[in-house]
Amino acid sequence: MVSINYSSREVCCKIVYYGPGLSGKTTNLLYVHSKVPSDTRGKMISLATEADRTLYFDFLPINIGTINGFAAKFQLYTVPGQVYYNATRKLVLRGVDGVVFVADSQPDKMEENIESLINLEENLREYGYDISDLPMVIQYNKRDLPGVLPIETLNAKLNTRGLPHFGASATLGNGVFDTLKLIIKLVLEKAKRSASDRAQPSVNLAPGSAAEPATPAPPATPAPQVASTDEPEPEPEPMAPYPEPAPEESVPAAPSTVDPVTSEVKDDDTGRLPGRATQPVSVGVGAPSAEATSTDPEPTTYRPYPGSEEGPQDFEKKVSSANFTPKKMEEPDDDDSVSNRIRSSSGGDADVSRPAMAPSLKKRGDNKKRGFIKRLFGIK
Amino acid sequence: MADDSLIIYEEEINQIDSLISKMLKGAEAKCALLVDKDGHLITRQGFTHSLDTTALAALLAGSFASTKEIARLVGEPEFSVLFHQGKKDHIHMSLVGDRSILVVIFDDRTTIGMVRLYAKETAIELGKIFEKIKEQSFDKSKAGITNDFASQAEDKLDDIFQD
Repeated sequence: MVSINYSSREVCCKIVYYGPGLSGKTTNLLYVHSKVPSDTRGKMISLATEADRTLYFDFLPINIGTINGFAAKFQLYTVPGQVYYNATRKLVLRGVDGVVFVADSQPDKMEENIESLINLEENLREYGYDISDLPMVIQYNKRDLPGVLPIETLNAKLNTRGLPHFGASATLGNGVFDTLKLIIKLVLEKAKRSASDRAQPSVNLAPGSAAEPATPAPPATPAPQVASTDEPEPEPEPMAPYPEPAPEESVPAAPSTVDPVTSEVKDDDTGRLPGRATQPVSVGVGAPSAEATSTDPEPTTYRPYPGSEEGPQDFEKKVSSANFTPKKMEEPDDDDSVSNRIRSSSGGDADVSRPAMAPSLKKRGDNKKRGFIKRLFGIK
Repeated sequence: MADDSLIIYEEEINQIDSLISKMLKGAEAKCALLVDKDGHLITRQGFTHSLDTTALAALLAGSFASTKEIARLVGEPEFSVLFHQGKKDHIHMSLVGDRSILVVIFDDRTTIGMVRLYAKETAIELGKIFEKIKEQSFDKSKAGITNDFASQAEDKLDDIFQD
């Protein structure tokens, strides 16, 4: 099914090359890949076995450029041809917009061709496709080999519905582009048909208006009544597990995960920082508490300095004024130094202004001295 | 199913993008892709610049499709979550609605649990948007592929596909 993205202005279609094993489906893609300009095609991906047989699919994206303001992209797939890969073959057919049936023109391959064609119809039917409505082109490949069946014979057996067909030689490239061009054209015609079928009331879009702006926001493509239904909820309902009240400003993500090179996230980052700096309170709703405590010392997290009678406000003032001189340190400044204090305590004179630890220190010093004298003179 | 084109308009993409980027920030994942089951990339968010997202979308959809077949063979209707673990980067895939896959690529800066949690919530929200898209696309599909689209494409094709 054609995917139309009005935001990125892309139309994306899926074309599948179907056919029996070794009929040349992958070779078709390889030729397209080798001949198409590199800016038109993407990387070709082949999920193949060791022996270069397609295991799952080959994939080649092609961008044919902007048409009517829309980038037309085509994804070319091939399927594994062998009979026993039907499960994966069917998976590749999912969402197909057009099929190229690559038949092998050699006489001994006719049975495989028929079998593969029946298998294609079965698989499409399982997906609910109307086979007669699906764009399809038949390619009779390997026309360069000697002894191939004439196209009329092949047509009589394989093309009972009168589908468009081409003789081709994928290795040489004959007929490869003809097939591809036709299937792309058929797919686009079908897409146009189905789009206009569904838009019966009025197909009133001027093509020029769509073609001009190309990159910016699309013209008034959405119908007004639909726009009005969408309008009320630009942010539908905030998701439960996300704690942030405003999506851009209060994101608690770690800045280390942000790559400054990338523009998408850089915008978010720059938008986030001022929010965090100016409104720490609002951030506190969703942000971890560590952040809040680091920026502003809240009364709840404040622990009074041991021994000080000052309230939190006074403490804060003192810290911020940058001349923090606690009372406790000022008092012992009457003495000259710590060594002076110890000397005076060992002298035995009790000082009233001495800290609580001093008497015990003095006592211990006296005891030590006494023990030493006793030991010196052998007194017990 | 055959005629069930996926048509997404800008307002829906914006909603989807904002949901996905929220998820990325919450789960601290690297990037995320929203992929159609057919292999079309719907949208992408995060650090996807170094990735070939078109090919990635096709392969992820293929991977998901084959897993669905495996599920069917073992008697499950579908595996709704898929996880690929690598040395550095890991991929978490989860089903969104009935036709899209949310792919989150993340590394060791976060955990699978976080990614799974956020992806699950986001998938539910995205599912609602897709339901809306499904209902609306019938009315909206008035533009895009216009009458001369195919004929204009034909001229381009002749330029590009030259032997």
